[in-house]
Amino acid sequence: MNNPKKNHKYPSRLVMAFFRWFCSQDLAETIEGDLLERFDQRVEELGYPKANKLFIRDVILLFRPGIIRSFSISQKINFTTMFKHNFILTFRNIRRYPSTFLINLIGLSTGIASLLLIYLWVSDEVSTDKFHPDDDRFYQVYTNFKTPNGLQSWKGVPGLLLEEIQDQIPEVNTTVATTDTHEYTVSAGETALKVQGKFASQDFLKVFNYPLTIGNVSTVLSDKSGVVITEGLALNLFGKTDVIGETIKPEFGNKTREFTITGILKDLPKNSSDQFEMVLTWDFYHNDLIDFKNWGNFYGRVVVSLNEGASFDLVAKKADEIIDEKQGGDRVDLMLVPYSDQYLHGNFENGVSIGGRIEYVELFAIVGTFILLIASINFINLSTAKASHKVKETGIKKSLGATRGSLINQFLTESVVLSTISLTVGLIMVYLFLPQFNSITGKQLVFLFNQDLAIASVIIICAIGLLAGAYPALYLSRFDVIKVLKGKFLNSGGAIGRKSLVVLQFALSTVLIVSVMILGKQMEYVKNSNLGYDRDNLVYFEREGTLLTNGGSFLEALKNIPGVSNAAFSGFMIGGGNATGGVDWEGKEEESRVQFWEMKSGEGMLDLMGMEMVAGRDFSSDFATDSTAIIFNEAAIKAMGIEDPIGKTITHYTGTKRIIGIVKDFNFTSLHSQVEPTLFRFEPEDTNFLMARLEKGNEGTSLSRIADLYESFNPGFPFKPVFIDQDYQALYAAEDRVNSLSKYFAVLAIIISCLGLFGLTAFMTERRIKEIGIRKVLGSSVWNIVYLLTSDFSKMVLISILIGLPVSYYIGSNWLENFAYSIELQWWFFALAGLSTLIVAWITVATQTLKSARMNPTKSLRAE
Amino acid sequence: MGKNHLGEFEEIVMLTVAILHGEAYGVAIIEEMETRLKRSVSIGSLQVVLKRLEDKGFLKSELGEATSVRGGKRKRFFTVTNVGKDMLRTSKEQRMQLWNAVPDVALEFVGL
Repeated sequence: MNNPKKNHKYPSRLVMAFFRWFCSQDLAETIEGDLLERFDQRVEELGYPKANKLFIRDVILLFRPGIIRSFSISQKINFTTMFKHNFILTFRNIRRYPSTFLINLIGLSTGIASLLLIYLWVSDEVSTDKFHPDDDRFYQVYTNFKTPNGLQSWKGVPGLLLEEIQDQIPEVNTTVATTDTHEYTVSAGETALKVQGKFASQDFLKVFNYPLTIGNVSTVLSDKSGVVITEGLALNLFGKTDVIGETIKPEFGNKTREFTITGILKDLPKNSSDQFEMVLTWDFYHNDLIDFKNWGNFYGRVVVSLNEGASFDLVAKKADEIIDEKQGGDRVDLMLVPYSDQYLHGNFENGVSIGGRIEYVELFAIVGTFILLIASINFINLSTAKASHKVKETGIKKSLGATRGSLINQFLTESVVLSTISLTVGLIMVYLFLPQFNSITGKQLVFLFNQDLAIASVIIICAIGLLAGAYPALYLSRFDVIKVLKGKFLNSGGAIGRKSLVVLQFALSTVLIVSVMILGKQMEYVKNSNLGYDRDNLVYFEREGTLLTNGGSFLEALKNIPGVSNAAFSGFMIGGGNATGGVDWEGKEEESRVQFWEMKSGEGMLDLMGMEMVAGRDFSSDFATDSTAIIFNEAAIKAMGIEDPIGKTITHYTGTKRIIGIVKDFNFTSLHSQVEPTLFRFEPEDTNFLMARLEKGNEGTSLSRIADLYESFNPGFPFKPVFIDQDYQALYAAEDRVNSLSKYFAVLAIIISCLGLFGLTAFMTERRIKEIGIRKVLGSSVWNIVYLLTSDFSKMVLISILIGLPVSYYIGSNWLENFAYSIELQWWFFALAGLSTLIVAWITVATQTLKSARMNPTKSLRAE
Repeated sequence: MGKNHLGEFEEIVMLTVAILHGEAYGVAIIEEMETRLKRSVSIGSLQVVLKRLEDKGFLKSELGEATSVRGGKRKRFFTVTNVGKDMLRTSKEQRMQLWNAVPDVALEFVGL
């Protein structure tokens, strides 16, 4: 405060600064002089501390009306006027440069619409399965199988685990055993329907938040002959929802019986990943439908709700100890996965979650931001480019006393008005395109204008308005008045910034284009790749009703239908079905626990499916001994390490089996995973499906003939044939959607980028119109001029391609790692993407440059 | 009352400005008042009054030369305008009239 080295003392600087801040301009100088003079006097008379105190007192006493400068009143009047003025200028600008306005409007509004749509999708994805109570303490039990390739995670567990966890782990509050949801045929009176159903133990509805409209949560699933159905199903079956006490009859082969409805569920919320219409009791499933209840059979799904504060690690460890003890050896590990995490983080590698759908969620969040960013860049670029139109205006305003603040205000008003209009248009677009978006994404998103959206809108308006407007505002208001009015305005500084923004834009577009190409190629590869069997025109349907007892004669009749080339009983299911570890063979190591997919087979099924036998033969009813025969795939033989396997015996959990054949590896799950060990059992009477191959060309008539045949055997039963290929495509539903969505967004991104480039070129050529005229007069050809105008942009686009390609290579190869079988990244993907970006940019630029290059120079040079 | 009325403090300030005759600036006025009237005055209250009197047209001011003292800040010197002088005179006359009208008796000290 006071400097001891100098003799002169100064009063408190802070207080002085305060004084200078509040004091009105015309009084400040004299009063400050007075203050200092008095202070100096007092320092001599009373000493520094006292003088300073009195100085502060003086300043405080000065803080009074009449001396304080006016902060508000005069400015307020100014503000509203300026506000009005800014608005008028904004609209005049729009009218004067309608093309710029349109480019900005189209870009920003599609950007906003994309972002909003993506936001709706993302928030729907993220909310999936989060609605159960105590979501944070709610876990699914997973089994980690030890395989040569590391741990394989699967949510199948032995059904016997339910009671053991209930009895032995006090940290667990509630344990529920369920099955996956499957389709069953359910009849009530005359009506029969295909219904999504599952089995669940008594406490199911206590821990899952699926509210009952009628019935008691704790008792509806206690009686073995009880069943709970949804309101929707009740309406479909009975035409009313008050159906307690009515009976329905689901098909379970020879175990079919009637169940009494004990409760009615509200239709399930859309953000439940599990969509079922009927719940039967676990008791019935476990006691009546499962023949091999042992610790090697992983037919159950177990969900636990922990006590508050319980450690899930500890629970997992205790559960693991139970299964080790029961199985006699550490063959599998159990782990707990948060129930609501499964949907987005459903992929596991070596027992650790490595993502899943979340990758797509993140991808689209990024893509949406990209698009909006590209659109904002357009706005920034066009405004700074247009600066030369505005510099005179700015210069004159400045010389008339406009402060930098008021100029910034003007430009920001302009951008906020634009972003408001864009948001409105964007909201309308969202509203219009939501149905299409829903059909692409397979969702039922609803667009409601609620409070959240209102707040989000305001945030979007401000964010875009300020972000996109800030650069032009700061840039334009910075010009030196004198230079501007003298006409010395040079555009160089802004040009570099503008160029780098264009580079960024096109780099982003290139990344999107390459990504879309890789995505598309991989999907094509996946869909057309040879899976080891022929899935064309292969149709299957369930064996129900009389087909179970009278299947043989149906199969004969089916084979005789014209248009059906072959048919067989089958237990084949896309995506697998049951898995077992219950296989022992000679020389098996104690620790190795190979997990086999298990399929029941009828006679001729392998042949029907077009699978190749590597060794041995297919099942045949000619050999009476085939009831104890077994067929493996190559992967299984390799995993077991059996040499010369044909004729050797192994011990299956159903008894001793003799290996009669080896089938070539085939892929029945998605190409995300390797071919896994698989075994076939010969159980023609016990298979679940009938499979037929139709002749090409008249599948429709063949199907209706099969339907007639089915109707004659099973009157009243719904006939629902499924093409294997459909099932196969369904495995890639997620990728398919991402694929088509990303195409749309990539096209959008490139269109918006080109719009910006278009605007920029139009402006640049317009500015150089005189130069072009003079060049032409001096003998330049049209192509010379086109080259002159294009080379600049070409350079920018080339740089952005150079930046974009490595980034997209990195992203692409990362994504392809998700697939066990994937395409190689070819150099020409990148070349093609780069080239197409360049060509699109050229076409955009050319429309403008050609026009101005062919212009008659007299026109451009006449006026001056 | 409006323009034709002088407050007590305003009158004192104007008189002091008149006394200083051309040398009247902030601190000088305050000191003059302190020495003559033993009345302590803050810069704030004085400046407000000076500004008000100037607005009313009773005082006028001009800036002096900058000097090395006072942090190089210029002084603002005040002088009484003709209107101001009129006003002071009127005010004085009004008082004198009142004084003259007071009977002598009324102003004698009565006892203790």
